[in-house]
Amino acid sequence: MKRDFHIFEPLLRLDSVGVRYGAQVALRGVSMDVWPGDILAFIGPNGAGKSTLLKAILGLVPIDEGRLERSPEASRDRIGYVPQSLAMDKAFPLTVGEFMALHGTARGFWAGGIPRSERANVESSLEKLQAHTLRDRKLGELSGGQLQRVLLAAAMLRGPELLLLDEPASGIDRRGAEDLLELLGGIHAATGMTILFVSHDLHFVHHLATRVGCLNQSFCGLGTPQEVLHEHFLEEAFGQSFGRGPFRPAVA
Amino acid sequence: MTGFWQYDFMRHALISALILGPVCALLGVFVTLRGMAFFSDALAHSALTGVALGLMLREVWGVPIDPLLSVLVFSLSLAALMSWLMRRGNLGADTVIAFSFTGSVALGVVVISALGKYRLLDGFLFGSIYSNSTADLWRQAILALGVGGFLLWNGRSYALATLNPDLAKVRGIPTARLDLIFALLIALTVTVCLKMLGAMLLSALIVVPPAAAKLVAGGFRQMLIFSVAGGTLCAAAGVIASWFLNVPTGPCIVLTDVAFLIGCFVFRAVKA
Repeated sequence: MKRDFHIFEPLLRLDSVGVRYGAQVALRGVSMDVWPGDILAFIGPNGAGKSTLLKAILGLVPIDEGRLERSPEASRDRIGYVPQSLAMDKAFPLTVGEFMALHGTARGFWAGGIPRSERANVESSLEKLQAHTLRDRKLGELSGGQLQRVLLAAAMLRGPELLLLDEPASGIDRRGAEDLLELLGGIHAATGMTILFVSHDLHFVHHLATRVGCLNQSFCGLGTPQEVLHEHFLEEAFGQSFGRGPFRPAVA
Repeated sequence: MTGFWQYDFMRHALISALILGPVCALLGVFVTLRGMAFFSDALAHSALTGVALGLMLREVWGVPIDPLLSVLVFSLSLAALMSWLMRRGNLGADTVIAFSFTGSVALGVVVISALGKYRLLDGFLFGSIYSNSTADLWRQAILALGVGGFLLWNGRSYALATLNPDLAKVRGIPTARLDLIFALLIALTVTVCLKMLGAMLLSALIVVPPAAAKLVAGGFRQMLIFSVAGGTLCAAAGVIASWFLNVPTGPCIVLTDVAFLIGCFVFRAVKA
């Protein structure tokens, strides 16, 4: 079901946000509004502060300068988060269903398995992401693309208003990335959910994002993909030439 | 078997094994998945310093302190200190554990040497499950209920924080607090179990059953069940076998655990 928002209020407003790790500046002077229904991609070189920006929005790193305002729809318990990876022992014997149960609303004793009260919700979430056949597989046995779908299903389990994804296309092949593109596009079309993601994959960004922020500690460009995926901004951010004219995904 | 049951010390040893076997195996599931096996080993060995400091207080300054209390205070303090140092991230976790471990054991040996109590080292290193009193059994039962209940109540939080601390924090889970509590639970368990197996063998009770269960489990629930069942049966079988074979109980329990691990390994190899 599509969400009903007051379209004149941004979900998030960042005003000159700065983040430091000790003496090292990760972000400085980052200002932007995130609007309901946006699909906003952050691109930039390694160390540009893309993941830090997501973490600041998630409240995982403190903001040292500026302000970050949230509308009630963007409170932390209404944000779904898909990390870049799970720092897990591949032999960790956790099934996909059990992993989903960790994200549910059930409280109290848990000794593995999927609580009865969560089963329908877990099934439905996995099915939406075409991952229901993976329910009894161990997480460590999944391919990159399958794991991304499961992480996405877990993030969607509580019906978030805002979805944050850190490098969703990393570690998966082109076919997997295309499938993920299709899934995310479908989720957005069906729910109108606001999506923020970080990616190095300009093809992925070009096909999914409605707005792109080119980041190198601060924004060197923020606008539509046609505006930002352009030689001028990419060279400024990445310090290398991407050919003349606007970015062409087929070539990239 | 009747002969076995007619002695108080054997009954107590078996009951102790049936209480501590499952709780150590349950704790061990989280210890192994969080990569903290060396942490529990370090705490077990560092308890020597707790014993030594307790003795020093009693013999030199005349403070009538229960050795268990001095071990408990020392182990909890060391666990909190190691946890804090590891969280600061300036030193690697293995480095923090290594210098805390060696430093505290060295201090313990120096104090024991100064007091001339070398014979204590035997009991500390290898344990004496036969000396369990009824009060010890009650203490162990309370520990088992407390530690087991806490871990199962917070099972989701610990599992998620193990997979990805950021995901856990986003869900509002206080990961730093849970990490500290987990370190303290290990210290508490190590202190209470020290009498049963001693520092040398205690880690086996915590680490081996879950490691074996992990080899054959198809999911987290199965790992918990196999680990707790294996830990309980191996501890009990070790006590009984030690009676019939007339060999020391601690090593016998550990060897039963190792046999369980080998059995699981073979089962997996055959199944594959």
